[in-house]
Amino acid sequence: MELFVQRCFDGMFNGAIYASLAVALVMIFRATGLLNFAQGEMAMMCGYIALVFLSSSDSGIAGTQSIGSLLPGHPWPTWLAITGAVLVGFALGALVEELLMRPLGDGSPLAQVNVTIGLLVLLNGLVLQIWGPFGRSFPSPFPSGMNDHFLIAGARLRYTTLGVWAVLLVVIVALGVLLRYTKTGLAFRAITSNRDSAELVGVRVRRSLMLGWGIAAGIGALAASLVGGAIVLEPLTMMKMLIYALAAATIGGLDSPRGAIFGGLIVGLSQSLVPGYLGVPSELSLLPPLVAMVLVLLFRPHGLFGTVPVERV
Amino acid sequence: MTTPTLRVSNLEASYGQIDVLRGLNFEVGEGEVVVVLGANGSGKTTTLRSICNMPIVDSSGTIEVDGVDVSNADTGSIVARGLAHVPQGRGTFPELSTYDNLMIGAYVRKDRKAIEEDITRWFDMFPVLKERRNQTAGSLSGGEQQMLAVSRALMSRPKLLLLDEPSLGLAPIIIENLFDTFSRLNSEEGVTMLIVEQNANLALNIADRGYVLEAGEIALAGDAEKLKNDPAVQEAYLGA
Repeated sequence: MELFVQRCFDGMFNGAIYASLAVALVMIFRATGLLNFAQGEMAMMCGYIALVFLSSSDSGIAGTQSIGSLLPGHPWPTWLAITGAVLVGFALGALVEELLMRPLGDGSPLAQVNVTIGLLVLLNGLVLQIWGPFGRSFPSPFPSGMNDHFLIAGARLRYTTLGVWAVLLVVIVALGVLLRYTKTGLAFRAITSNRDSAELVGVRVRRSLMLGWGIAAGIGALAASLVGGAIVLEPLTMMKMLIYALAAATIGGLDSPRGAIFGGLIVGLSQSLVPGYLGVPSELSLLPPLVAMVLVLLFRPHGLFGTVPVERV
Repeated sequence: MTTPTLRVSNLEASYGQIDVLRGLNFEVGEGEVVVVLGANGSGKTTTLRSICNMPIVDSSGTIEVDGVDVSNADTGSIVARGLAHVPQGRGTFPELSTYDNLMIGAYVRKDRKAIEEDITRWFDMFPVLKERRNQTAGSLSGGEQQMLAVSRALMSRPKLLLLDEPSLGLAPIIIENLFDTFSRLNSEEGVTMLIVEQNANLALNIADRGYVLEAGEIALAGDAEKLKNDPAVQEAYLGA
Protein backbone atom coordinates (compact mmCIF):
# COMPACT_ATOMS: atom_id res chain seq x y z
CA MET A 1 0.00 0.00 0.00
CA GLU A 2 2.71 2.41 1.02
CA LEU A 3 4.60 1.62 -2.16
CA PHE A 4 1.48 2.11 -4.26
CA VAL A 5 0.76 5.52 -2.78
CA GLN A 6 4.39 6.54 -3.15
CA ARG A 7 4.35 5.53 -6.79
CA CYS A 8 1.18 7.55 -7.30
CA PHE A 9 2.84 10.61 -5.77
CA ASP A 10 5.91 10.15 -7.94
CA GLY A 11 3.67 9.77 -10.96
CA MET A 12 1.84 12.93 -10.01
CA PHE A 13 5.06 14.87 -9.90
CA ASN A 14 6.25 13.68 -13.29
CA GLY A 15 2.73 14.14 -14.57
CA ALA A 16 2.85 17.81 -13.58
CA ILE A 17 5.98 18.31 -15.67
CA TYR A 18 4.49 16.61 -18.71
CA ALA A 19 1.22 18.42 -18.23
CA SER A 20 2.84 21.84 -18.12
CA LEU A 21 4.76 21.24 -21.32
CA ALA A 22 1.64 19.69 -22.87
CA VAL A 23 -0.30 22.85 -21.98
CA ALA A 24 2.29 24.88 -23.89
CA LEU A 25 1.86 22.57 -26.89
CA VAL A 26 -1.92 22.91 -26.68
CA MET A 27 -1.62 26.69 -26.50
CA ILE A 28 0.40 26.82 -29.74
CA PHE A 29 -2.04 24.42 -31.32
CA ARG A 30 -5.01 26.53 -30.28
CA ALA A 31 -3.42 29.73 -31.55
CA THR A 32 -1.86 28.46 -34.77
CA GLY A 33 -3.07 24.94 -35.50
CA LEU A 34 0.54 23.74 -35.45
CA LEU A 35 2.62 21.42 -33.32
CA ASN A 36 5.78 23.03 -32.05
CA PHE A 37 8.44 20.36 -31.70
CA ALA A 38 10.89 22.92 -30.35
CA GLN A 39 8.63 23.63 -27.35
CA GLY A 40 10.78 21.53 -25.02
CA GLU A 41 14.06 23.07 -26.11
CA MET A 42 12.67 26.59 -25.92
CA ALA A 43 11.60 25.79 -22.38
CA MET A 44 15.01 24.36 -21.53
CA MET A 45 16.75 27.43 -22.89
CA CYS A 46 14.60 29.55 -20.58
CA GLY A 47 15.40 27.22 -17.69
CA TYR A 48 19.07 27.96 -18.20
CA ILE A 49 18.33 31.65 -18.44
CA ALA A 50 16.53 31.48 -15.08
CA LEU A 51 19.65 29.75 -13.78
CA VAL A 52 21.80 32.60 -15.05
CA PHE A 53 19.49 35.15 -13.39
CA LEU A 54 19.70 33.52 -9.98
CA SER A 55 23.27 32.23 -9.85
CA SER A 56 26.02 34.32 -8.37
CA SER A 57 28.56 35.70 -10.83
CA ASP A 58 31.32 33.35 -9.74
CA SER A 59 29.23 30.19 -10.11
CA GLY A 60 31.00 29.24 -13.31
CA ILE A 61 27.76 29.24 -15.31
CA ALA A 62 28.33 30.88 -18.66
CA GLY A 63 26.76 34.30 -18.95
CA THR A 64 26.28 35.00 -15.25
CA GLN A 65 29.18 37.44 -15.18
CA SER A 66 28.19 39.58 -18.16
CA ILE A 67 24.45 39.40 -17.54
CA GLY A 68 24.90 39.84 -13.80
CA SER A 69 26.66 43.14 -14.32
CA LEU A 70 23.65 44.42 -16.28
CA LEU A 71 20.99 43.34 -13.81
CA PRO A 72 20.35 45.34 -10.67
CA GLY A 73 20.39 43.19 -7.56
CA HIS A 74 21.84 40.15 -9.33
CA PRO A 75 21.79 37.30 -8.34
CA TRP A 76 18.02 37.44 -8.20
CA PRO A 77 15.80 35.55 -5.78
CA THR A 78 14.25 32.41 -7.26
CA TRP A 79 10.79 33.77 -7.98
CA LEU A 80 12.10 36.91 -9.63
CA ALA A 81 14.46 34.81 -11.76
CA ILE A 82 11.55 32.60 -12.83
CA THR A 83 9.46 35.65 -13.71
CA GLY A 84 12.39 36.96 -15.74
CA ALA A 85 12.73 33.63 -17.54
CA VAL A 86 9.01 33.58 -18.35
CA LEU A 87 9.30 37.05 -19.88
CA VAL A 88 12.36 36.00 -21.88
CA GLY A 89 10.37 32.93 -22.96
CA PHE A 90 7.49 35.13 -24.11
CA ALA A 91 9.87 37.25 -26.17
CA LEU A 92 11.58 34.17 -27.59
CA GLY A 93 8.23 32.71 -28.66
CA ALA A 94 7.13 35.95 -30.29
CA LEU A 95 10.48 36.21 -32.08
CA VAL A 96 10.22 32.67 -33.42
CA GLU A 97 6.84 33.54 -34.93
CA GLU A 98 8.07 36.85 -36.30
CA LEU A 99 11.42 35.69 -37.71
CA LEU A 100 10.92 32.02 -38.61
CA MET A 101 7.24 31.23 -39.03
CA ARG A 102 5.90 34.32 -40.76
CA PRO A 103 8.31 34.34 -43.71
CA LEU A 104 7.17 30.80 -44.53
CA GLY A 105 3.73 32.11 -45.35
CA ASP A 106 0.33 30.95 -44.27
CA GLY A 107 -0.28 28.08 -46.58
CA SER A 108 2.53 25.79 -45.52
CA PRO A 109 1.92 24.15 -42.14
CA LEU A 110 4.23 21.28 -43.05
CA ALA A 111 7.14 23.64 -43.69
CA GLN A 112 6.45 25.41 -40.42
CA VAL A 113 6.41 22.17 -38.44
CA ASN A 114 9.66 21.17 -40.12
CA VAL A 115 11.19 24.46 -39.06
CA THR A 116 10.23 23.75 -35.45
CA ILE A 117 12.14 20.46 -35.71
CA GLY A 118 15.13 22.38 -37.03
CA LEU A 119 14.76 24.80 -34.16
CA LEU A 120 14.78 21.89 -31.72
CA VAL A 121 18.17 20.79 -33.02
CA LEU A 122 19.51 24.34 -33.16
CA LEU A 123 18.50 25.30 -29.63
CA ASN A 124 19.78 22.03 -28.26
CA GLY A 125 23.14 22.68 -29.90
CA LEU A 126 23.19 26.25 -28.62
CA VAL A 127 22.53 25.20 -25.05
CA LEU A 128 25.22 22.56 -25.29
CA GLN A 129 27.62 25.12 -26.74
CA ILE A 130 26.93 27.81 -24.18
CA TRP A 131 26.37 25.87 -20.97
CA GLY A 132 28.09 22.57 -21.70
CA PRO A 133 26.87 19.01 -21.21
CA PHE A 134 26.91 19.07 -17.40
CA GLY A 135 23.77 18.65 -15.37
CA ARG A 136 22.88 21.71 -13.32
CA SER A 137 20.84 21.67 -10.18
CA PHE A 138 18.42 24.42 -9.68
CA PRO A 139 17.14 25.90 -6.44
CA SER A 140 13.51 24.95 -6.03
CA PRO A 141 11.01 27.76 -5.61
CA PHE A 142 9.21 25.55 -3.09
CA PRO A 143 10.53 24.20 0.21
CA SER A 144 12.28 21.02 -0.81
CA GLY A 145 14.41 19.93 2.12
CA MET A 146 14.49 16.40 3.52
CA ASN A 147 11.48 17.03 5.73
CA ASP A 148 9.38 19.20 3.44
CA HIS A 149 6.66 16.70 2.73
CA PHE A 150 3.37 15.37 4.02
CA LEU A 151 3.33 11.80 5.19
CA ILE A 152 0.23 10.12 3.78
CA ALA A 153 -0.22 6.38 4.35
CA GLY A 154 3.48 6.18 4.91
CA ALA A 155 4.29 7.75 1.55
CA ARG A 156 5.88 11.13 1.03
CA LEU A 157 3.96 13.81 -0.82
CA ARG A 158 6.55 16.51 -1.39
CA TYR A 159 5.66 20.19 -1.12
CA THR A 160 7.27 20.66 -4.51
CA THR A 161 4.74 18.31 -6.12
CA LEU A 162 1.88 20.25 -4.59
CA GLY A 163 3.49 23.57 -5.47
CA VAL A 164 3.97 22.65 -9.12
CA TRP A 165 0.39 21.45 -9.35
CA ALA A 166 -0.92 24.59 -7.71
CA VAL A 167 0.93 26.80 -10.22
CA LEU A 168 -0.23 24.59 -13.05
CA LEU A 169 -3.86 24.84 -12.02
CA VAL A 170 -3.63 28.62 -11.85
CA VAL A 171 -2.14 28.66 -15.35
CA ILE A 172 -4.88 26.39 -16.66
CA VAL A 173 -7.69 28.44 -15.21
CA ALA A 174 -6.16 31.65 -16.53
CA LEU A 175 -5.70 30.10 -19.95
CA GLY A 176 -9.24 28.73 -19.93
CA VAL A 177 -10.63 32.16 -19.15
CA LEU A 178 -8.46 33.75 -21.85
CA LEU A 179 -9.47 31.28 -24.54
CA ARG A 180 -13.13 31.00 -23.68
CA TYR A 181 -14.25 34.37 -22.40
CA THR A 182 -12.09 37.06 -23.95
CA LYS A 183 -11.99 38.70 -27.33
CA THR A 184 -8.35 37.65 -27.69
CA GLY A 185 -9.34 34.04 -27.11
CA LEU A 186 -12.15 34.32 -29.64
CA ALA A 187 -9.62 35.64 -32.15
CA PHE A 188 -7.31 32.67 -31.51
CA ARG A 189 -10.16 30.26 -32.11
CA ALA A 190 -11.27 32.13 -35.22
CA ILE A 191 -7.79 32.06 -36.74
CA THR A 192 -7.41 28.30 -36.38
CA SER A 193 -10.93 27.76 -37.65
CA ASN A 194 -10.74 29.90 -40.79
CA ARG A 195 -7.78 32.16 -41.27
CA ASP A 196 -9.04 34.00 -44.37
CA SER A 197 -12.31 34.88 -42.72
CA ALA A 198 -10.51 35.91 -39.54
CA GLU A 199 -8.51 38.35 -41.64
CA LEU A 200 -11.76 39.57 -43.19
CA VAL A 201 -13.44 40.40 -39.89
CA GLY A 202 -10.46 42.54 -38.97
CA VAL A 203 -8.61 40.19 -36.62
CA ARG A 204 -4.94 41.23 -36.51
CA VAL A 205 -3.79 37.73 -37.36
CA ARG A 206 -0.08 38.39 -37.06
CA ARG A 207 -0.39 40.04 -33.70
CA SER A 208 -2.52 37.17 -32.44
CA LEU A 209 -0.05 34.58 -33.65
CA MET A 210 2.83 36.37 -31.94
CA LEU A 211 0.83 36.53 -28.74
CA GLY A 212 -0.02 32.82 -28.97
CA TRP A 213 3.61 31.84 -29.49
CA GLY A 214 4.69 34.14 -26.69
CA ILE A 215 2.19 32.76 -24.18
CA ALA A 216 3.05 29.16 -25.05
CA ALA A 217 6.78 29.75 -24.71
CA GLY A 218 6.19 31.61 -21.46
CA ILE A 219 4.30 28.62 -20.07
CA GLY A 220 7.14 26.37 -21.23
CA ALA A 221 9.67 28.58 -19.45
CA LEU A 222 7.59 28.39 -16.28
CA ALA A 223 7.49 24.60 -16.58
CA ALA A 224 11.25 24.32 -17.01
CA SER A 225 11.93 26.65 -14.10
CA LEU A 226 9.57 24.81 -11.77
CA VAL A 227 10.84 21.34 -12.54
CA GLY A 228 14.40 22.58 -12.47
CA GLY A 229 14.08 22.48 -8.71
CA ALA A 230 13.42 18.78 -8.64
CA ILE A 231 15.36 17.31 -11.53
CA VAL A 232 18.76 17.96 -12.94
CA LEU A 233 18.74 20.31 -15.90
CA GLU A 234 20.96 19.09 -18.71
CA PRO A 235 20.79 19.59 -22.48
CA LEU A 236 19.06 16.25 -23.10
CA THR A 237 16.41 16.63 -20.39
CA MET A 238 13.75 18.06 -22.64
CA MET A 239 14.02 15.64 -25.56
CA LYS A 240 12.42 12.92 -23.47
CA MET A 241 10.04 15.33 -21.78
CA LEU A 242 8.74 16.41 -25.17
CA ILE A 243 7.86 12.85 -26.13
CA TYR A 244 5.91 12.40 -22.89
CA ALA A 245 4.32 15.82 -23.27
CA LEU A 246 3.24 15.02 -26.83
CA ALA A 247 1.70 11.79 -25.57
CA ALA A 248 -0.03 13.74 -22.80
CA ALA A 249 -1.39 16.35 -25.19
CA THR A 250 -2.58 13.68 -27.62
CA ILE A 251 -4.31 11.70 -24.88
CA GLY A 252 -6.07 14.79 -23.58
CA GLY A 253 -6.97 16.13 -27.01
CA LEU A 254 -4.64 18.54 -28.76
CA ASP A 255 -6.95 21.52 -28.45
CA SER A 256 -7.85 21.15 -24.80
CA PRO A 257 -5.81 22.69 -21.95
CA ARG A 258 -7.86 20.66 -19.48
CA GLY A 259 -7.11 17.54 -21.50
CA ALA A 260 -3.39 18.29 -21.30
CA ILE A 261 -3.63 18.16 -17.51
CA PHE A 262 -5.37 14.80 -17.48
CA GLY A 263 -3.09 13.52 -20.21
CA GLY A 264 -0.05 14.55 -18.18
CA LEU A 265 -1.43 12.79 -15.13
CA ILE A 266 -2.20 9.62 -17.09
CA VAL A 267 1.26 9.58 -18.63
CA GLY A 268 2.97 10.26 -15.29
CA LEU A 269 0.99 7.60 -13.45
CA SER A 270 1.29 4.96 -16.15
CA GLN A 271 5.01 5.59 -16.18
CA SER A 272 5.41 5.17 -12.43
CA LEU A 273 2.87 2.42 -11.79
CA VAL A 274 2.99 0.07 -14.77
CA PRO A 275 6.70 -0.82 -14.79
CA GLY A 276 6.63 -1.55 -11.05
CA TYR A 277 3.65 -3.86 -11.16
CA LEU A 278 3.90 -5.46 -14.57
CA GLY A 279 7.63 -5.93 -14.50
CA VAL A 280 8.34 -3.75 -17.52
CA PRO A 281 12.09 -3.12 -17.37
CA SER A 282 12.99 0.49 -16.68
CA GLU A 283 14.70 0.86 -20.05
CA LEU A 284 11.22 0.52 -21.52
CA SER A 285 9.64 3.15 -19.28
CA LEU A 286 8.67 5.04 -22.41
CA LEU A 287 6.36 2.19 -23.34
CA PRO A 288 3.41 2.45 -20.93
CA PRO A 289 2.57 6.09 -21.77
CA LEU A 290 2.68 5.34 -25.47
CA VAL A 291 0.47 2.27 -25.03
CA ALA A 292 -1.93 4.44 -23.07
CA MET A 293 -1.90 6.93 -25.94
CA VAL A 294 -2.66 4.26 -28.55
CA LEU A 295 -5.48 2.88 -26.41
CA VAL A 296 -7.08 6.29 -25.98
CA LEU A 297 -6.77 7.10 -29.68
CA LEU A 298 -8.36 3.78 -30.64
CA PHE A 299 -11.53 4.71 -28.82
CA ARG A 300 -11.42 8.50 -28.95
CA PRO A 301 -9.48 9.64 -32.01
CA HIS A 302 -9.61 13.27 -30.90
CA GLY A 303 -8.40 12.56 -27.38
CA LEU A 304 -10.33 12.55 -24.12
CA PHE A 305 -11.32 16.22 -24.20
CA GLY A 306 -10.55 17.16 -27.79
CA THR A 307 -13.16 18.82 -29.96
CA VAL A 308 -14.67 16.47 -32.48
CA PRO A 309 -15.10 18.42 -35.70
CA VAL A 310 -18.58 18.44 -37.15
CA GLU A 311 -19.06 19.75 -40.64
CA ARG A 312 -22.03 19.22 -42.84
CA VAL A 313 -21.41 18.99 -46.52
CA MET B 1 -20.36 65.74 -56.83
CA THR B 2 -20.37 63.52 -53.76
CA THR B 3 -17.55 61.15 -52.95
CA PRO B 4 -18.45 57.56 -53.83
CA THR B 5 -18.35 54.96 -51.02
CA LEU B 6 -15.95 52.91 -53.11
CA ARG B 7 -13.83 54.02 -56.02
CA VAL B 8 -11.59 51.58 -57.84
CA SER B 9 -9.07 52.95 -60.35
CA ASN B 10 -6.74 51.07 -62.67
CA LEU B 11 -7.04 47.88 -60.65
CA GLU B 12 -4.75 45.18 -61.97
CA ALA B 13 -4.20 41.84 -60.32
CA SER B 14 -2.37 38.63 -60.96
CA TYR B 15 -1.77 35.24 -59.41
CA GLY B 16 1.89 34.58 -60.11
CA GLN B 17 2.28 34.80 -63.90
CA ILE B 18 -1.41 34.85 -64.64
CA ASP B 19 -3.02 38.26 -65.14
CA VAL B 20 -6.55 38.26 -63.87
CA LEU B 21 -7.57 41.90 -63.85
CA ARG B 22 -6.43 44.35 -66.51
CA GLY B 23 -7.18 47.86 -65.35
CA LEU B 24 -10.63 48.06 -63.81
CA ASN B 25 -12.29 51.40 -63.12
CA PHE B 26 -15.60 51.56 -61.32
CA GLU B 27 -17.37 53.07 -58.37
CA VAL B 28 -20.15 52.33 -55.94
CA GLY B 29 -22.08 55.34 -54.68
CA GLU B 30 -23.52 55.68 -51.21
CA GLY B 31 -26.70 53.62 -50.79
CA GLU B 32 -26.31 51.91 -54.14
CA VAL B 33 -26.56 48.22 -54.93
CA VAL B 34 -24.09 47.40 -57.67
CA VAL B 35 -23.76 43.99 -59.22
CA VAL B 36 -20.76 42.56 -61.04
CA LEU B 37 -21.64 39.90 -63.57
CA GLY B 38 -19.26 37.70 -65.45
CA ALA B 39 -18.50 34.15 -66.49
CA ASN B 40 -16.28 31.81 -64.50
CA GLY B 41 -12.72 33.07 -64.48
CA SER B 42 -13.56 36.60 -65.52
CA GLY B 43 -12.05 38.02 -62.32
CA LYS B 44 -15.09 38.72 -60.15
CA THR B 45 -13.79 37.12 -56.96
CA THR B 46 -10.33 38.57 -57.53
CA THR B 47 -11.87 42.03 -57.72
CA LEU B 48 -13.41 41.65 -54.27
CA ARG B 49 -10.26 40.09 -52.82
CA SER B 50 -8.14 42.93 -54.17
CA ILE B 51 -10.45 45.55 -52.70
CA CYS B 52 -9.85 44.03 -49.24
CA ASN B 53 -6.15 43.62 -49.90
CA MET B 54 -6.29 39.96 -49.03
CA PRO B 55 -3.14 37.86 -49.26
CA ILE B 56 -2.62 35.58 -52.27
CA VAL B 57 -3.50 38.32 -54.76
CA ASP B 58 -0.84 40.63 -56.21
CA SER B 59 -2.67 43.77 -57.11
CA SER B 60 -1.94 47.32 -58.10
CA GLY B 61 -4.14 50.34 -58.64
CA THR B 62 -6.02 52.59 -56.28
CA ILE B 63 -8.84 51.67 -53.94
CA GLU B 64 -10.60 54.54 -52.21
CA VAL B 65 -13.19 54.15 -49.47
CA ASP B 66 -15.09 57.39 -48.84
CA GLY B 67 -12.32 59.21 -50.64
CA VAL B 68 -9.55 57.74 -48.47
CA ASP B 69 -6.87 55.75 -50.27
CA VAL B 70 -6.68 52.29 -48.70
CA SER B 71 -4.65 50.59 -51.45
CA ASN B 72 -1.80 49.83 -49.08
CA ALA B 73 -3.76 49.35 -45.87
CA ASP B 74 -3.98 45.89 -44.35
CA THR B 75 -7.23 43.97 -44.39
CA GLY B 76 -7.93 44.74 -40.73
CA SER B 77 -7.83 48.49 -41.14
CA ILE B 78 -9.92 48.29 -44.32
CA VAL B 79 -12.57 46.43 -42.33
CA ALA B 80 -12.30 49.07 -39.63
CA ARG B 81 -13.15 51.67 -42.32
CA GLY B 82 -16.52 50.05 -42.82
CA LEU B 83 -16.07 47.33 -45.42
CA ALA B 84 -17.38 43.84 -44.82
CA HIS B 85 -16.68 40.95 -47.13
CA VAL B 86 -18.73 37.77 -47.36
CA PRO B 87 -16.36 35.46 -49.19
CA GLN B 88 -17.41 32.83 -51.67
CA GLY B 89 -18.43 29.51 -50.18
CA ARG B 90 -19.81 30.65 -46.82
CA GLY B 91 -16.67 31.86 -45.07
CA THR B 92 -17.98 31.04 -41.61
CA PHE B 93 -15.89 29.65 -38.76
CA PRO B 94 -16.97 26.00 -38.72
CA GLU B 95 -15.60 25.16 -35.25
CA LEU B 96 -17.14 28.21 -33.58
CA SER B 97 -20.72 28.44 -32.37
CA THR B 98 -23.24 30.54 -34.26
CA TYR B 99 -23.10 33.08 -31.46
CA ASP B 100 -19.30 33.26 -31.51
CA ASN B 101 -19.37 33.65 -35.29
CA LEU B 102 -21.49 36.75 -34.81
CA MET B 103 -19.30 38.02 -31.96
CA ILE B 104 -16.14 37.75 -34.03
CA GLY B 105 -17.92 39.66 -36.79
CA ALA B 106 -17.97 42.60 -34.39
CA TYR B 107 -14.25 42.25 -33.70
CA VAL B 108 -13.39 45.80 -34.78
CA ARG B 109 -16.13 47.30 -32.61
CA LYS B 110 -15.87 48.25 -28.96
CA ASP B 111 -19.47 49.12 -28.05
CA ARG B 112 -20.32 45.90 -26.22
CA LYS B 113 -23.92 46.74 -25.47
CA ALA B 114 -24.76 47.68 -29.04
CA ILE B 115 -23.09 44.48 -30.21
CA GLU B 116 -25.53 42.41 -28.16
CA GLU B 117 -28.40 44.46 -29.59
CA ASP B 118 -27.20 43.77 -33.10
CA ILE B 119 -26.99 40.05 -32.42
CA THR B 120 -30.62 40.15 -31.28
CA ARG B 121 -31.50 42.07 -34.41
CA TRP B 122 -29.99 39.53 -36.82
CA PHE B 123 -31.46 36.68 -34.80
CA ASP B 124 -34.84 38.31 -35.38
CA MET B 125 -34.17 38.58 -39.07
CA PHE B 126 -32.93 34.98 -39.31
CA PRO B 127 -34.84 33.12 -36.56
CA VAL B 128 -33.25 29.83 -37.54
CA LEU B 129 -29.89 31.20 -36.45
CA LYS B 130 -31.32 31.91 -33.03
CA GLU B 131 -32.38 28.27 -32.74
CA ARG B 132 -28.84 27.25 -33.70
CA ARG B 133 -27.23 29.76 -31.37
CA ASN B 134 -24.96 27.29 -29.58
CA GLN B 135 -24.42 24.89 -32.46
CA THR B 136 -21.12 25.04 -34.29
CA ALA B 137 -21.36 26.78 -37.66
CA GLY B 138 -20.00 23.66 -39.35
CA SER B 139 -23.13 21.77 -38.35
CA LEU B 140 -25.48 24.25 -40.06
CA SER B 141 -26.93 23.62 -43.50
CA GLY B 142 -25.58 25.51 -46.51
CA GLY B 143 -28.40 28.05 -46.48
CA GLU B 144 -28.09 28.61 -42.75
CA GLN B 145 -24.34 29.09 -43.09
CA GLN B 146 -24.88 31.66 -45.82
CA MET B 147 -27.31 33.55 -43.59
CA LEU B 148 -24.75 33.34 -40.82
CA ALA B 149 -21.98 34.61 -43.10
CA VAL B 150 -24.11 37.60 -44.10
CA SER B 151 -25.15 38.38 -40.52
CA ARG B 152 -21.57 38.04 -39.40
CA ALA B 153 -20.49 40.59 -42.00
CA LEU B 154 -23.29 42.92 -40.87
CA MET B 155 -22.07 42.67 -37.26
CA SER B 156 -19.28 45.09 -38.12
CA ARG B 157 -21.97 47.64 -39.09
CA PRO B 158 -20.46 48.07 -42.51
CA LYS B 159 -21.09 50.98 -44.82
CA LEU B 160 -20.30 48.73 -47.73
CA LEU B 161 -21.05 45.05 -47.95
CA LEU B 162 -19.12 42.97 -50.48
CA LEU B 163 -20.93 39.76 -51.36
CA ASP B 164 -19.19 37.05 -53.32
CA GLU B 165 -21.71 34.79 -55.05
CA PRO B 166 -24.14 34.59 -52.18
CA SER B 167 -26.40 32.24 -54.15
CA LEU B 168 -23.75 29.59 -54.68
CA GLY B 169 -25.05 26.12 -53.95
CA LEU B 170 -28.34 27.21 -52.43
CA ALA B 171 -31.88 26.10 -53.24
CA PRO B 172 -33.88 28.60 -55.36
CA ILE B 173 -36.33 29.43 -52.57
CA ILE B 174 -33.48 30.21 -50.17
CA ILE B 175 -31.76 32.35 -52.78
CA GLU B 176 -34.92 34.37 -53.23
CA ASN B 177 -35.26 34.93 -49.49
CA LEU B 178 -31.65 35.94 -49.27
CA PHE B 179 -31.96 38.48 -52.07
CA ASP B 180 -35.14 39.84 -50.50
CA THR B 181 -33.12 40.34 -47.37
CA PHE B 182 -30.37 42.16 -49.26
CA SER B 183 -32.97 44.41 -50.80
CA ARG B 184 -34.44 45.17 -47.38
CA LEU B 185 -31.03 45.78 -45.85
CA ASN B 186 -30.38 48.30 -48.56
CA SER B 187 -33.68 50.13 -48.38
CA GLU B 188 -34.22 49.95 -44.60
CA GLU B 189 -30.69 50.06 -43.23
CA GLY B 190 -29.04 51.97 -46.03
CA VAL B 191 -26.27 49.41 -46.51
CA THR B 192 -24.36 49.94 -49.73
CA MET B 193 -23.62 46.70 -51.59
CA LEU B 194 -21.32 45.33 -54.21
CA ILE B 195 -22.56 41.92 -55.25
CA VAL B 196 -20.69 39.48 -57.43
CA GLU B 197 -23.14 37.01 -58.85
CA GLN B 198 -23.74 34.45 -61.56
CA ASN B 199 -27.47 34.47 -61.00
CA ALA B 200 -27.86 37.57 -63.13
CA ASN B 201 -31.63 37.72 -63.11
CA LEU B 202 -32.02 37.93 -59.36
CA ALA B 203 -29.03 40.19 -58.92
CA LEU B 204 -30.21 42.69 -61.55
CA ASN B 205 -33.65 42.76 -59.95
CA ILE B 206 -32.33 44.25 -56.73
CA ALA B 207 -29.43 46.21 -58.20
CA ASP B 208 -29.30 49.85 -59.23
CA ARG B 209 -26.41 49.41 -61.61
CA GLY B 210 -24.21 46.66 -62.94
CA TYR B 211 -20.90 45.90 -64.59
CA VAL B 212 -20.11 42.96 -66.81
CA LEU B 213 -16.61 41.58 -66.52
CA GLU B 214 -14.98 39.74 -69.36
CA ALA B 215 -11.43 38.43 -69.11
CA GLY B 216 -10.46 40.96 -66.46
CA GLU B 217 -11.94 43.99 -68.18
CA ILE B 218 -15.23 45.78 -67.93
CA ALA B 219 -17.11 44.88 -71.08
CA LEU B 220 -20.40 46.57 -70.25
CA ALA B 221 -21.68 48.98 -67.66
CA GLY B 222 -25.01 50.58 -67.00
CA ASP B 223 -28.29 50.72 -65.12
CA ALA B 224 -29.72 47.39 -64.05
CA GLU B 225 -32.77 47.88 -66.26
CA LYS B 226 -30.63 48.64 -69.27
CA LEU B 227 -28.41 45.62 -68.69
CA LYS B 228 -31.40 43.35 -68.28
CA ASN B 229 -32.59 44.37 -71.73
CA ASP B 230 -29.19 44.27 -73.36
CA PRO B 231 -29.15 41.49 -75.96
CA ALA B 232 -25.58 40.43 -75.15
CA VAL B 233 -26.36 40.14 -71.41
CA GLN B 234 -29.58 38.33 -72.13
CA GLU B 235 -27.82 35.82 -74.30
CA ALA B 236 -24.86 35.22 -71.99
CA TYR B 237 -26.37 35.45 -68.52
CA LEU B 238 -30.13 35.44 -68.64
CA GLY B 239 -30.58 32.51 -70.99
CA ALA B 240 -33.11 34.38 -73.11
